Amino acid sequence: MLNQLALTYLFAQNSGFQIVPIINQLISGVGIVGILLLTGLGLAITFGVMGIINLAHGEFIMLGAYVTVFMQELFDMDLLLTIPFAFLVTAVIGALIELTIIRRLHGRPLETLLATWGLSIVLRGVIKLLFTAQLKYVQSPSYLSGNLKLLTNEQGLPLISISHYRLFIIGIAIALFLITAYLLYGTSLGRKMRAVTQNRDMAKCLGINTSLVDMGTFAYGCGLAGIAGTVLSSLKSVSPPMGQDYLIDAWMVVVTGGVDKLIGTLAGAVLIGESNAIIAFLLSDPVARVIVLLAVIVIIRYRPEGLFTVQKRG
Amino acid sequence: MTKNRLYFDLGRTSRRRFLKYGSLAVGAGVVAACTNQGQQGQQGQQQTSSQQDLGENPIKVGVMYSTTGSIAIVEKTLQDATFLAIDQINNGTGPWKENGAGIAGRKIQKVVVNPDSNWDLYNQMSKRLIEEDQVSCVLGCYTSASRKAVLPVFEDKNALLYYPVYYEGNECSSNVIYTGAAPNQQITDSIPYCYENFGPRGFFVGSDYIYPKESNRIAKAELKNQGGEVVGEEYAALGTTEFITIINKIKQANPDFVLSNLVGDSVPAFYRQYKNAGINASDIPIMAYPTTEQEIKAMDPQNAEGHYTSFNYFQSVDTPENKQFVREFKKMFGDDRVTNGVMEAAYLQTFFMAQAMKEVLEAGEEINTKTLREATRGQEFNAPQGKVKVDPDNYHTYLYARIGRWNAQGQAEIIQSSPSAVKPIPWSQALYPGRECVHPSPDDRSDPTKETGKDKLETKYLES
Repeated sequence: MLNQLALTYLFAQNSGFQIVPIINQLISGVGIVGILLLTGLGLAITFGVMGIINLAHGEFIMLGAYVTVFMQELFDMDLLLTIPFAFLVTAVIGALIELTIIRRLHGRPLETLLATWGLSIVLRGVIKLLFTAQLKYVQSPSYLSGNLKLLTNEQGLPLISISHYRLFIIGIAIALFLITAYLLYGTSLGRKMRAVTQNRDMAKCLGINTSLVDMGTFAYGCGLAGIAGTVLSSLKSVSPPMGQDYLIDAWMVVVTGGVDKLIGTLAGAVLIGESNAIIAFLLSDPVARVIVLLAVIVIIRYRPEGLFTVQKRG
Repeated sequence: MTKNRLYFDLGRTSRRRFLKYGSLAVGAGVVAACTNQGQQGQQGQQQTSSQQDLGENPIKVGVMYSTTGSIAIVEKTLQDATFLAIDQINNGTGPWKENGAGIAGRKIQKVVVNPDSNWDLYNQMSKRLIEEDQVSCVLGCYTSASRKAVLPVFEDKNALLYYPVYYEGNECSSNVIYTGAAPNQQITDSIPYCYENFGPRGFFVGSDYIYPKESNRIAKAELKNQGGEVVGEEYAALGTTEFITIINKIKQANPDFVLSNLVGDSVPAFYRQYKNAGINASDIPIMAYPTTEQEIKAMDPQNAEGHYTSFNYFQSVDTPENKQFVREFKKMFGDDRVTNGVMEAAYLQTFFMAQAMKEVLEAGEEINTKTLREATRGQEFNAPQGKVKVDPDNYHTYLYARIGRWNAQGQAEIIQSSPSAVKPIPWSQALYPGRECVHPSPDDRSDPTKETGKDKLETKYLES
């Protein structure tokens, strides 16, 4: 009843500024935020916590998606059940890469950047050789299809709605966010992780096995990217270059939010996702991308450390 | 005291070793990237020389499709279809059965290059094919951008390119044989269909580059000629997979149909999110051009069920030639593969080329651009889509115009088809009324553009 009243009220002033589509777009924007948070979270670990410029982050997302494709082709597995596998496989690959490449380049950001860029090409090439360049698709679970209607018009057509799958993405993203926050700030492992990044030598003196912590942290970050890949695989098709689409967005989120605090990633995702959604709706998609990128540049210019960050001692 | 120094002092690893490992890792990445590219080019060449005995004096033909990079997903399938045709010609099987193995006894030697989805490389590699390898002609290119990049080379060196892709038209070169759809074979029949069956209000979407924008410009003019209106037009950056905003705009505009010129990876994402957003195909159907069996397969066919595509060929076309094509293709490349309109064009143009070469050789002449061009004019071929013909006037191809509705199995039910192949008109008649293209015979490469002064060139069909 309240809905009906609200509806007639909103439609009464329909002639001018339309509020319902804007609300709908804001709600849809939450779906974009979920994706940004999901892809940015892994990077918040590898870059934010460890300070590694990982240009192969997108490829870990791609690897996660291919694990899902593989499991579905082989065992006809439900998408949700493949999530742990995607996490494990990408985490193990991440650990191996940390062991063989990242570790040897510690403290040399430029070389790390080049090495991970090369790595991204290699990973794409290997996947192309194993799975061919054909587009693959994954089956999304049927219980996640359809959408949640928050407001409908007289004909029953949804005016404000969000698809169940988008809700699922947001749910997963927030769950992973909370788990990661707990891991970092609530466990001794997290304390070690932070100790190693804040003062590696002191941490080492205090008996922390820094190389093991490094490997574990990097592997966890990669595993998160893998989960993102699984979840996103059903929104689009799976192909070797798919990860690159997410790399820039993930970087924007992490850099805007600030690299030190996990909450910065959440803030970055909300800010970029929602402003993108609104500008794209009022103007157009390519214009929105330009404006948002410009805004990020301005933010970085005046707050190079990001929006949310703690002052560090020199 | 810097961190680095301290680290250095701890003696775990030296600066020198950092540098060594660092450059090794980077080097390995770069080398891997380069060899990946080089290998693929070589593979193709080796394949021809080692696996097959090409006999004496083979005919060199360039095959230029990217098998790496962003467009590889599509271009690899065109290369596959081309290889199948060359295989059939060299072995005298399939449509080439009556002609025996090879072209008048001579086999095709394919010279394969991989331009890595990079427009500059298309330009360089076409030069290499023409000058160093001295191929008699080139089969290749997919995007309009790559065609535009190589066009100056082919015109400058007076070489011949067979181009298998539906495109935006408004071009008529003496050095290109266009075997994909011209605008009048794809847009001109689908817009009236939408107007009559769905309604007058269209919402246009596309990827943000030349082909979708030109194609939509023509389609818009056609829709206005019909008396319809465009209620929205949105473009997404190439490769975008986030369509929530565009879909919301479609919902708000509530059009009678959506015309999609999205390409590549965006296609599966758009259809999936369209369905997820709760829009039924029966309420607002999508009419698309670049959405073929290949993209449908990549999106889970249920998402496209009930939507439409306008194309010359569908895998479901019911001709004996098509059954054979699909069977042979699956035999060569795997049972899970599908065929589509672009692949079919890549396949049929190889036969146009072979038939023309046969004619030249049987007339006792040498194969060069001039003889091959004159011989290709007017070639007819029983292609999988039906009987097609190279238009002797404008070097485009008489093709069928069909509209298909997708079913849950990812195949099209053909709901409308021209009675026979439609004569191509390279210039969009909605934008350039009365303009046509007639190359003189024999072709002296003068400007072929002719203004007839008519309001619109009439649609002509191939007489069977």
